[in-house]
Amino acid sequence: MSLFDNIKSYSEKVNLSTTKRKDLHSFFKNGFPTTKDEEWKYTSLKKIVADDFSIEENKDIVSEIDFEKYSLGFENKIVFVNGTLISSPIIKGILISDFTDFKTENKDVVCDINSSLATKGFSISVTQNTIFKNPIEILFLTNTKNDNFSQYRNQIIIGNNSKIKFVEKMRNLSKTKCFVNHFTQITLGKNSNCEYNKIQTNRKNSILIDNLNIFQDSDSTCNINTFIFGGCFIRNNLNFEQNGLNSESNMNGISVLDNNQFADNHTFIDHKVANCRSNEMYKGIYMGNSKGVFNGKIMVRPDAQKIDAFQSNNNLLLSDNSTIDSKPQLEIYADDVKCSHGCTIGQLSEDAMFYMRSRGIAEKEAKAVLSYAFASEAIEKTTIPKVRLLAQKLLTQKLNVDLDFNI
Amino acid sequence: MIKIEDLNAGIDGHQILKGINLEVKTGEVHAIMGPNGSGKSTLASVIAGNEDYEVGSGKIDFEGTDLLDLLPEERAYKGVFLSFQYPVEIPGISVSNFIKTSINEMRKANGLDPIPTPKLLKMMREKMELLNIKKGYLSRNMNDGFSGGEKKRNEIFQMAILEPKLAILDETDSGLDIDTLRIVANGVNKLKSKDNATIIITHYQRLLDYIVPDFVHVLYDGTIIKSGNKELAYELEEKGYDWISKEG
Repeated sequence: MSLFDNIKSYSEKVNLSTTKRKDLHSFFKNGFPTTKDEEWKYTSLKKIVADDFSIEENKDIVSEIDFEKYSLGFENKIVFVNGTLISSPIIKGILISDFTDFKTENKDVVCDINSSLATKGFSISVTQNTIFKNPIEILFLTNTKNDNFSQYRNQIIIGNNSKIKFVEKMRNLSKTKCFVNHFTQITLGKNSNCEYNKIQTNRKNSILIDNLNIFQDSDSTCNINTFIFGGCFIRNNLNFEQNGLNSESNMNGISVLDNNQFADNHTFIDHKVANCRSNEMYKGIYMGNSKGVFNGKIMVRPDAQKIDAFQSNNNLLLSDNSTIDSKPQLEIYADDVKCSHGCTIGQLSEDAMFYMRSRGIAEKEAKAVLSYAFASEAIEKTTIPKVRLLAQKLLTQKLNVDLDFNI
Repeated sequence: MIKIEDLNAGIDGHQILKGINLEVKTGEVHAIMGPNGSGKSTLASVIAGNEDYEVGSGKIDFEGTDLLDLLPEERAYKGVFLSFQYPVEIPGISVSNFIKTSINEMRKANGLDPIPTPKLLKMMREKMELLNIKKGYLSRNMNDGFSGGEKKRNEIFQMAILEPKLAILDETDSGLDIDTLRIVANGVNKLKSKDNATIIITHYQRLLDYIVPDFVHVLYDGTIIKSGNKELAYELEEKGYDWISKEG
């Protein structure tokens, strides 16, 4: 059975409220988005959703997993195995709990499926005036016997004047396919600060649609860093809504893909009020038959004067068969704003290659150094040294070289 | 050390070098002078292995190996170094990181372990002093936003670290003010030994006031038309290249 049919029969089996059932109407009527849909023009779900993913979770293999092995090594960890919360830290001022449902206004049917059917995930509430310097690691592990479709629905509420950092990683441990429909909502209070790092290094049998919606109150700052190295198919929807004056939204990403990998970064920043800033920097390195998509939309509403918005998307195509579709979209309805965007697609400079080779750096290594040089600006956006080192390591592994960029 | 025999090379089907013969022995400094377009930089690029140039015929014997059979990086492992006329900017990689990668890749190719970082840093500091390079330089991005003089100095800095057997300085003096020229020349002189050799490519005799060559060659339209000692450089400065082309 296709995923559509499986979701349909699953929804009939579980006890859904009338609202939740209503949320699925559009999906049942139209099915998954297709490339005819403007937001999915370059990203096809067709093959993926034709597969038979089971929706029932099997809890039987939960206990066997030594999650430390897959951890990034941070002291404070929230760990899920097949959707079950198996570990969470106790931190003063930060309340961490299992799934708590919340309502959202959804942009597409994939989010509808999540809001109707998801029953797993975390809920984090940061009390106001809490400054917590150590990053909190969030680990989602999957280990199932069948090809599996799982959904998480997470919420983070950050109180006024609080500051917090997260590092999120997903890992499919089984040989079976794993399709995750991930939804996270972050609400930032006044003068609060949040950094959220996504390490997307999952195995080749993993499919991810990740929705991250952020709502910011005045004087808040939110930084989202997305590191894509693994997985078979990734679609990241990152949506910012600035509701308070003088707030700042920063989003940075790196995609390093090879073979038949696919990654799509879809970002949307909604400048609704005045005196706010947004900075966006996405870099992509594509090898083999990989394909990347970038869609960056900046909206400046009529009352949002004195906005400073910057977007860049730079891409390196290292093979003949790799592709990138890049689409900046600026919609500006205010007149006193500073908005700029830039997109580049290129290859490595031959002059630079010869320069490096004349310094004894062989072709493969020279490519890696230049790729690192290209990506480093975005890698350095994370404030967490461990994440930076990891990104460097993953980059060199992916380029198959033994180089170390630290001195 | 290096013996170039009847070297013919060009780019995009256009022949530039037309039968170059040149021998440089260990411990020697050779200057190659010539007007614009005579093939000086082509010669430097061909020795270093720039694949943009097609080599028609000839041989570049370097201590028993024909360099023409080697990749650019393999020539570097053997001890060939080219100081670029236009050093390439590489934003995103620091000078120290670049040099660390370069020296360790060279060591790896020659069967040596990577150099310990403290030792490398000490070495870099010493060479910075030699070339009068200010603090903070190592963490700047490679040639990125460097002035013309800084780029050239960075080339000689790399040469000082890598200690090549044969250094080819391609127009290292162009774009240098007189103070920097003196510092760079002084650096090159200090790196000179009886075990290495230098080929200086230049338009003007100015640099040769500081780095005194054992031999001067005049390259004209892809051929060395005259060779002599350092006096030849003065003569050229005085009479211009026209004189020699008429004579040749």
